[in-house]
Amino acid sequence: MIDVVSLALLGLVIACALATAVLRDVLAAIIAFAAYSLGIAMIWVLLQAPDVGLTEAAVGAGVTTVLFLLTIAKTVRPPGDAIFESVDPKGLLVAVLIVGVLASTLGALPPVGSAETPVAQSQVTDYYLENAYEQTHVKNAVTAVLAAYRGFDTMGEAVVVFAAGVGLLVVLGREVFA
Amino acid sequence: MSVDDSEDGDGAVEAGENRSLYVESPIIMATVRVVAPFVFTFGLFIMFHGADSAGGGFQGGVIVSTVILMLAVAFGVESTRDWVTPERLVAIVGIGVSVVLLMGIVTVALGGGFLQYDVVPIYHFTKYGIELFELGIGVIVSGIVTGLFFGLAAGASGEGSADREADEREGLL
Repeated sequence: MIDVVSLALLGLVIACALATAVLRDVLAAIIAFAAYSLGIAMIWVLLQAPDVGLTEAAVGAGVTTVLFLLTIAKTVRPPGDAIFESVDPKGLLVAVLIVGVLASTLGALPPVGSAETPVAQSQVTDYYLENAYEQTHVKNAVTAVLAAYRGFDTMGEAVVVFAAGVGLLVVLGREVFA
Repeated sequence: MSVDDSEDGDGAVEAGENRSLYVESPIIMATVRVVAPFVFTFGLFIMFHGADSAGGGFQGGVIVSTVILMLAVAFGVESTRDWVTPERLVAIVGIGVSVVLLMGIVTVALGGGFLQYDVVPIYHFTKYGIELFELGIGVIVSGIVTGLFFGLAAGASGEGSADREADEREGLL
């Protein structure tokens, strides 16, 4: 499964993530972060998860970037001409530790596309794949699970988005978004 | 784009002032005029067609709200906000939440479980119900993302908020 495209995408994502961390200019860091999100979105598509890829592209690479740009417009550029931020050893140590801990779990993951994974062998998965179309009349099994079988969860997610908006209004002390 | 321009060439002196983010650019305006209808249609397609292909209310809602964000970048945040009208935005989000909740309540009222679409006596309602549910989510998401954008653009120092906050603080004390 590791082919040239995957390796190139992984390289792009890691390079963009590092650039986001070390670039001194916040605007440049935001652009690098958007490129990182776009790379992740393409990786999702390669991993056959187009629904997640679409979300990552629209939210991560699109809207988040605009919101960040809007926010830094209210800040000032740090003085000096250096392109890269100087690396803080303590911060670097913590980052390396976190990456190490997360990387130690990689060995427990099944290979991509393996038929032996708990998800592929689960009776629930079989039930959804066999009955989703007859019971819900939608062809996308992901939507069938999200909006029908687990509709209550999805309603909760939608209300969380609503609550985020209400939270912003409460913090700003206003009744409308203005 | 416009942010970049106003960001360059400034000193640390201008911080804190309400600088105008907006730079009138015929290129950006023309591009947005051409691209916006297609993006809007694509967002609605993702929202409605989520039942049969990749996509759904969350993704479609974000793409639809991108149209408002593009208009705001091209024609200025203030004028776009006045065009949308903030009150209408809050109403739209409320309608979205009501649609999503009503779907659940109606199915319970007809004797089924929460969001058990097949109890509604309409042919193929499960599919239409799922699409309506997704549409409600899309309306919530697009309204909130647009609202976050306008809220961030106005910031804590936006028009009229300072007095109101001061009033509230006095009230609390």
